[in-house]
Amino acid sequence: MLNKLPVIPNTAIFSNQTNNLKSYFSIQIKIAARKFLDFGVHPILGVLLILVGFIAFSEFLFHQISFASYLFAFVSLTFTSALSAQKRNDFLQLCFPEKRYKSVRTIENTLAALPFVIFLVYKQNLLVAVILLFISLLFAWSNFRTNFNFTLPTPFYKKPFEFIVGFRKTILLLIGACFIEFIALSVNNFNLGIFALAVVFLIVLTFYTTPENEIFVWNFIVSPTKFLVSKIKIALIFSVLLSLPFVATLVTFYPEKYLIILATWLIGFMLIITVILAKYAAYPSEMNLPEGIVIALGLSFPPLLLIFAPYFYFKAIQKLKPYLP
Amino acid sequence: MIEIKNLCKSFGNKQVLNNINIQFEHGKVYGIVGENGAGKTTLFRCIAGLEDFEGEIHATKTPLKNHLGLLFTDPFFFPKLTGKEYIQLLCNAREIELGDIEARNVFDLPLNQYASTYSTGMKKKLAITAILLQENDYFILDEPFNGVDIQSNIIITEIIHKLKELEKVVLISSHIFSTLSATCDEIHLLKDGQIIRSVEKPEFDVLENEMKEIVMENRIDRLRLK
Repeated sequence: MLNKLPVIPNTAIFSNQTNNLKSYFSIQIKIAARKFLDFGVHPILGVLLILVGFIAFSEFLFHQISFASYLFAFVSLTFTSALSAQKRNDFLQLCFPEKRYKSVRTIENTLAALPFVIFLVYKQNLLVAVILLFISLLFAWSNFRTNFNFTLPTPFYKKPFEFIVGFRKTILLLIGACFIEFIALSVNNFNLGIFALAVVFLIVLTFYTTPENEIFVWNFIVSPTKFLVSKIKIALIFSVLLSLPFVATLVTFYPEKYLIILATWLIGFMLIITVILAKYAAYPSEMNLPEGIVIALGLSFPPLLLIFAPYFYFKAIQKLKPYLP
Repeated sequence: MIEIKNLCKSFGNKQVLNNINIQFEHGKVYGIVGENGAGKTTLFRCIAGLEDFEGEIHATKTPLKNHLGLLFTDPFFFPKLTGKEYIQLLCNAREIELGDIEARNVFDLPLNQYASTYSTGMKKKLAITAILLQENDYFILDEPFNGVDIQSNIIITEIIHKLKELEKVVLISSHIFSTLSATCDEIHLLKDGQIIRSVEKPEFDVLENEMKEIVMENRIDRLRLK
């Protein structure tokens, strides 16, 4: 049943049926299940993995960082704000009558915030939990429509596109990383500072997780090797640009720990190279479970990246050959 | 020149292109017409090397794809990338040094705005500008006039005339016959994956009438309009 194509009910169905909310959310579950299957994971296993990952990440965060609850709330709001995307809400408003639309949005944002709220309650951060739930509901009930027409300048304008698009999409997260770094220095917490640096690299990795439309590879006139080298070169130069302020302040404040700082920096670069190669090793499809497992292994034991990177490189060359003969 | 010999293409059991033999010469503009699903876009994708195929495609400048400007019916744009950055990206890919982009912005596009916020017509004009600035020798323009305002239609028509003058090879697909009449030297009718009719300029009217007959049959009568 899950392999059937999605049947999207039309507006009449959504507005007339009494069980239209149930129908809408069952479609959402089907879509999520298909995404898991596309990724090569059974949906139940996928949900379990996410659950375990969420608990592990949360425990790690609260164990390592003194201001974890605020960061936790920020991550949660990033997810809920994604549900408030204008086009998505325009579509929902077309599908549902006003009252029903608000119910849908309320349920969606509550569900998105709930795991975070439960964990905050478990950690006895009741105030943050209540504020998080309140802001999430506010996001659901408000319409942030704007005619604001502003193009965020970036220092990467000569070499589109990954860093330009990624920088603009994740600017709030990057500001968040700066904030974490600032807190780390103010409370003299070196680990938190390293965490902020790691966040920058994790953000950069997201620039390279989705394969671009084939026309943007096809247009290049270089060989697959040159193409990959140029992509990696640009990624390294620009990630140095983004991470250098973090590294510089850490080295200034903790000169005795320069080796740890440099090692984190190096692992970050190796990870970026591996993800770029993994992306094109799966091209034109999205990275899948095998690539995901390999990258996760590399994250847990970085020297493995030295083995995985060449493996992805040779695979990427094969995948790029049809576009760059 | 682009020479296509015995080109066949299937998707599973469905044969989309069936033994296409055709030659496109420099300094000429070719129109490819046919109903939706006739195989026009597949033909263009094969020429661009974006599809595997049986048969042969040769060009005087090789590899063909490195000299080809390809405009899709519905060009793709990244979110949060400005018009200027889009042009920069496509020109970087071809290692073309761009001078003053604004000076070459013939469609007066707001190049510093995100391209994804452009209207359909503006997106098409941006994609055309980018492939023109790539300094290509071959052009495939799939529905270049779609969604574009009348002023820009005139500009695009003049651009195609200029490309012809510059000895480029231009292939156009359009559902608006008048735009093809105004720009093309030859028109090829594609039906069920085969070129069933090829005509030169003096015969365009005949082809248009024939197409009307093929397409219309007695459809309007079936509406029983009163």
